[in-house]
Amino acid sequence: MSATAFAGTDLPIRADLAESHERAWQAIAAPGTWLDGQRRIAVAAEIRHAFDCAHCARIKAALSPNAVAGAHDSRGELTFAEVELIHRTVNDPGRLSDAWAQSLLAEGMSEGEYVEIAGIIAMVMMADTCTRALGLPNRALPAALPGEPTRYRPPGARKEAAWLPIVEPADAVAADGPMYPSPKAGYIYRALSSVPQTLRDYWALANCHYLPGPMIYRFDQKSIRAISRPQTEIIASRVSALHQCLY
Amino acid sequence: MLRESMQSEGKQVALGGVTKGFAQGIDVAHAAELVEFTEAVVARDAARTAAARAALLPLLGTAGLVDAAATVAAFHGFVRVADAIGIPHFASPAGDELADLRAEVGIDAFHRMQDTPALARPLADGNHR
Repeated sequence: MSATAFAGTDLPIRADLAESHERAWQAIAAPGTWLDGQRRIAVAAEIRHAFDCAHCARIKAALSPNAVAGAHDSRGELTFAEVELIHRTVNDPGRLSDAWAQSLLAEGMSEGEYVEIAGIIAMVMMADTCTRALGLPNRALPAALPGEPTRYRPPGARKEAAWLPIVEPADAVAADGPMYPSPKAGYIYRALSSVPQTLRDYWALANCHYLPGPMIYRFDQKSIRAISRPQTEIIASRVSALHQCLY
Repeated sequence: MLRESMQSEGKQVALGGVTKGFAQGIDVAHAAELVEFTEAVVARDAARTAAARAALLPLLGTAGLVDAAATVAAFHGFVRVADAIGIPHFASPAGDELADLRAEVGIDAFHRMQDTPALARPLADGNHR
């Protein structure tokens, strides 16, 4: 563990990339929309813990992910539904289903909690994978910050296009805060929109790893990264395919 | 995105390589080394990742290696957002219908296509990705 992301490396880490990691960890430690800081850090710890879960390994190896009896190896701080959401999304995301997602909600998890935890999973996976890929240790989890969740639910959130509610760009209101770079923002951008702060935290990190939104469809311009756009997309498409992800 | 980025450079790509690992070769510099690095990171294999990183470093330089790692990492987040929320997938970034593209890439066999094929049907608002 290191005190800050990329600590001690000789690699020329882009300043915006390093800053995005620190900003993300501070956001994870702060009170969210439905979870307080302590619970959000517990989620982050469970995400890291899930890598070594024997039950997840059996699920991953099984022909049907829903046919494996047993329990996850958890740290014991979160509910059954929270642990199931974290472990399955970390270790076998390509075989999740609408029925599975609804079964977690039936356990008492709210839609907001589900989306907020999904956002934390994505952020921790992104940050930890970046340092791991460079041969660097995980950043130590920050201390949870005090305060209460805002419990803000966007009035335009509705379940129609996806398994969980989404705020379509036309339904966003000023109270949601800034969410979309364009009214044509795709579904990958809209996915976390029922918890606007999670959407903002996630994309602040993601834009510094892949490409900022306005650059994504500009194939005619020179890459702003130190690898070419086709090199970027080979990596992107291969990661998605290995996860059996349609995105 | 891969197809569009290749076309912007006047090149073609056999998209079946997305699922097969580009074993047939692809006209992109250091593609084989990038794919090996990517697969090693996804497999969470530290020794294989270190070897792949060592192979990539003299080809990409340090800044290129960092951006390769950042891209691998980015899609570890994207896939989880997409798959945990169950967003629809029905058109390419350019707005093309995906049926032919899915067949060419070979993703019709993915679990989610078997489980919830309705997610690949177009919605009414014309938006995508």
